[in-house]
Amino acid sequence: MDKLTIAIAKGRLGNQGLELFKGSEYEINVKENSRKLVHYSANKKVNFIFVKPADVVTYVEKKVADLGIVGKDIILEDNKDVYEVLDLNFGKCRFVIAGFKDQNLVKKNEVLTIGTNYPAYVESIFKNKDQEIEIIKLRGAVELAPLMGLSEVIVDIVETGSTLADNGLVVLEELDPISARLIANKVSYRFKFDEIRKIEKLLGGL
Amino acid sequence: MQFRNIKEELTVTKIRKEIEREIEEYFERKGFSIIEPRTFQAYDDFIKRNLVQDSTKVVKVLGGDSKIYVLRPDITTSILSQIFSKWEGEPPLKVYYNSKIFKNTPRGVIEQRYQMGIESLGDEVEKADIEIIQMAINILNTLEESYILEMGFSTFLDTLFKEANLDKSDELKVKELISKKNQSELSYMIKSLNLNNQVLANIFNLQGKISDVLDKIKSYDLSIKMKGHITYLENLDQAFTKKGIEDKIRIDLSMIADLDYYDGVIFRGYSSSLPTKLLSGGRYDKSTANYGMKVPAIGFMIDMDLLTRTRLKEVR
Repeated sequence: MDKLTIAIAKGRLGNQGLELFKGSEYEINVKENSRKLVHYSANKKVNFIFVKPADVVTYVEKKVADLGIVGKDIILEDNKDVYEVLDLNFGKCRFVIAGFKDQNLVKKNEVLTIGTNYPAYVESIFKNKDQEIEIIKLRGAVELAPLMGLSEVIVDIVETGSTLADNGLVVLEELDPISARLIANKVSYRFKFDEIRKIEKLLGGL
Repeated sequence: MQFRNIKEELTVTKIRKEIEREIEEYFERKGFSIIEPRTFQAYDDFIKRNLVQDSTKVVKVLGGDSKIYVLRPDITTSILSQIFSKWEGEPPLKVYYNSKIFKNTPRGVIEQRYQMGIESLGDEVEKADIEIIQMAINILNTLEESYILEMGFSTFLDTLFKEANLDKSDELKVKELISKKNQSELSYMIKSLNLNNQVLANIFNLQGKISDVLDKIKSYDLSIKMKGHITYLENLDQAFTKKGIEDKIRIDLSMIADLDYYDGVIFRGYSSSLPTKLLSGGRYDKSTANYGMKVPAIGFMIDMDLLTRTRLKEVR
């Protein structure tokens, strides 16, 4: 049986993902401050690789990794050709439209400007709304955009809403709920079906 | 495919041509005749007959008559309009093609992909299903690496949705979730819609060796129509077992075809070294009606760029 490779998002989401394997035959030991990007599990059957969150889906689609653990926000933005087998029920937050309290989301004959790190997702959301939009792609600190007059509203993921509140912004509309997901390459899913089902079960699948 | 230099381009082309000749010879031996698809098709005609995909991917050109034409985005639909304008529906027709399709990439560049494939029209359903799947396996069998033929049965899910009595928008959502193998969100949805359907709740357990899956599903509570589908699949399994190819096939009753036009067996061929499917096909009787006459029809397509890639590794 071939080795299985799992791509994990570097950072908090990935670390929480690794927790799920603790105590199982797939557990790995990552030393604090380690910069190693490839780790083997105790039983040598699984190979974990650490990549940037936004790259997890790409690694899985191209079958460099068979499985991946990644946020639903990235899956919605990238819309890649992978299976999304399991909701891992952590890293929960929500996509929202946020802005100043009196901001109107429906503007007759006027373009609504939106600052976001998720342009493709925003486009898909507004496709069915009767409102012209202009997307301003930002890489971070999206909350700054309405404050500085760069955009009228933002679309971003929000966990508690405290960053919004600290900057005088409010949620204007709730969009999709987000959580960590287990994704699989379609070819790997068929070739390594039994092993993948076993891992699904370990991670809380049916 | 992008080439680093002319030497690589010549090598790759040579290998692809060799494979093409092998496959052409095989198709000819099996009694299939070559058909040359038209490169251009009238836009109106094309849109009318196709539930097609994303129309932004279709390459359009302007003819001297100021009409819009499309540059062949798909071979099956192109040869079907050729055939049905001149064919009476019998005797059965078996054709193969060795050609190219064109599409716009997201960056706006026009990409061409090499494809070969077969279509069997007007032949008896069960006989043709077995023959065409056997041929797909024979093609995959020439690979120097392990392969799997994944087989689904779209009629099975169609009946399931009809019996579950879902409204259209819920059905689309359920289909989307099943196509993504998204068992978590599917079970949330089953709960919120209060669906009490044993097959739907267990749909992702219906994957694996054909005989195992059929044994499993027979223990479920099934309608007479569903039982009929299962009996048909049992017949296929018996035929595959007789031919000794049942080991190469994995059935997946949760499989949803990429295109809406299939109604019957659907299948995809995977090779262990490739990231995506290299062969795909299925039965599409219903959609032949768009050409004015409903006949049994089944076929498959091979992605020649991917197939060439498997052979390249051996050379290097």
